Amino acid sequence: MKNQWIHIFSGTVKVKLTGKGIERFLNQLTRNGVSIWNVKKHGSEAVTFYVDLQDVNKLRIPARENHCKIRFLERAGGPFFLKKLWTNSGFLAGAVLFFALILLLSNMVWGIEINGASPATEHQIRKQLDKMGIGVGKMQFSIDSVESIQKELTDQVGALTWIGVELKGTTYHFQAVEKSEPEKVEANSPRHLVAKKKAAIVKIFVEKGDPVVEVNELVKPGQLLVSGVYGSEKKQKLVAATGEILGETWYSTEVELPLKSTFQVFNGNEKRTYSLKIAGKSIVLWGFGKTEFKEYETEVFEQPVKFFKWELPVKIEKTTIREREQATRIYTREEAINSAKELARSDIKNNLPENAIIKGEKILHQSIENGKVRLIIHFTIIEDIAEGQPIIQGD
Amino acid sequence: MAKKWGLYVRKWLTQKMDLPQDVMMDLPRITMIGQVHIYIENHRGLLAFSDGEVRLMIRGGQLSIKGQAFVIKTILPEEIVLEGKIEQVLYINDGKGGGVT
Repeated sequence: MKNQWIHIFSGTVKVKLTGKGIERFLNQLTRNGVSIWNVKKHGSEAVTFYVDLQDVNKLRIPARENHCKIRFLERAGGPFFLKKLWTNSGFLAGAVLFFALILLLSNMVWGIEINGASPATEHQIRKQLDKMGIGVGKMQFSIDSVESIQKELTDQVGALTWIGVELKGTTYHFQAVEKSEPEKVEANSPRHLVAKKKAAIVKIFVEKGDPVVEVNELVKPGQLLVSGVYGSEKKQKLVAATGEILGETWYSTEVELPLKSTFQVFNGNEKRTYSLKIAGKSIVLWGFGKTEFKEYETEVFEQPVKFFKWELPVKIEKTTIREREQATRIYTREEAINSAKELARSDIKNNLPENAIIKGEKILHQSIENGKVRLIIHFTIIEDIAEGQPIIQGD
Repeated sequence: MAKKWGLYVRKWLTQKMDLPQDVMMDLPRITMIGQVHIYIENHRGLLAFSDGEVRLMIRGGQLSIKGQAFVIKTILPEEIVLEGKIEQVLYINDGKGGGVT
């Protein structure tokens, strides 16, 4: 028997034949090379059989010769199926539309969940997400990768130490860890206040304890400032000395700054292409043409297309090509000195507590050599120099 | 007479050379699978076909297959596949020209 599948594709017809010369008709057909199958007799003068659609025309002449009548009963297979499909194309369109809709909805953001954040921080996070274009109903293709969301959130929301970003299906899960300032431990145990660094005392404000030093006195690191031993000789009382001792401290910073510097910058020109990636091959959807940038950097971001929770082997590839330029910055002498000073200032502020004040600055040394400005600046700073030192009773 | 001589030569050759008889002698090859299927190769055409009986022309006579609910699964110029409940397979000799049974 021949392979039935071929018949199914080319189409088959069920034929009913009535007449007397059925056997002769069948013999003639087989001799003509027409393949027929499932021949069944119905009564004495009727027979049904199946024949290939393309052989239907070959039935006519033998039938006439043998005085038989042909009736077609059923039509099945490829061409008929397609015809049926065409008449019912509404269903097909519906099915396609349905899949397209599911595909679309599977790639949308349907929820944002934030855990571990206080209401205030959560509000901030949501605001930031809105700014970044992440919200319910947005397409996932238009959203940056999870890593960059994480980075941007930690950068922009000050109250966050760390945030875990996870995309589960259509929901973004955020696991926030807030900065929790350690609570200030009340100094209960008896202690002295000693100097942290070499300084000239400017102001003394003592809450508890017995000040030992005076304004304008020069102190060395470790020198006792406020004693925790309080009271007269006989009635000594140990307290935890607290207070603020502002001292003038001195720092000198050396800054070096080249007059001429070149660096790479993006000049803002960029080109985006979107392409569909199927089995390693990309089909460009948007953004045709070659890049005309001389120097550029490419950033590729791949987003898999999802169907319900499954990832299809199809990816949307977003390529951003940014033009790069070499910028040269040339300082004049004065500009160089100014920015060197600025640099030194920000440098020193980084090393000091927040409440420290820069009282004065003095350029000690200034030279321009080999295209570089070199400055040594002396800063006068007023800061709190007190530091607790527990009193250990030896006896 | 010459035809008969040829027949004898062929018969002798097939016996001596151990060749399949259906190829050399132009005889039908009938394969049956239980009562369900019957394959007949080397037939010469359909003589009669009904639910209960199929008659085929073969070399030197007719072949009658009796049974119930016959359906011709495939029919080709020299091959036929029959499905149904097969009860009898009968050779009907013409009496003339045959002689090989």
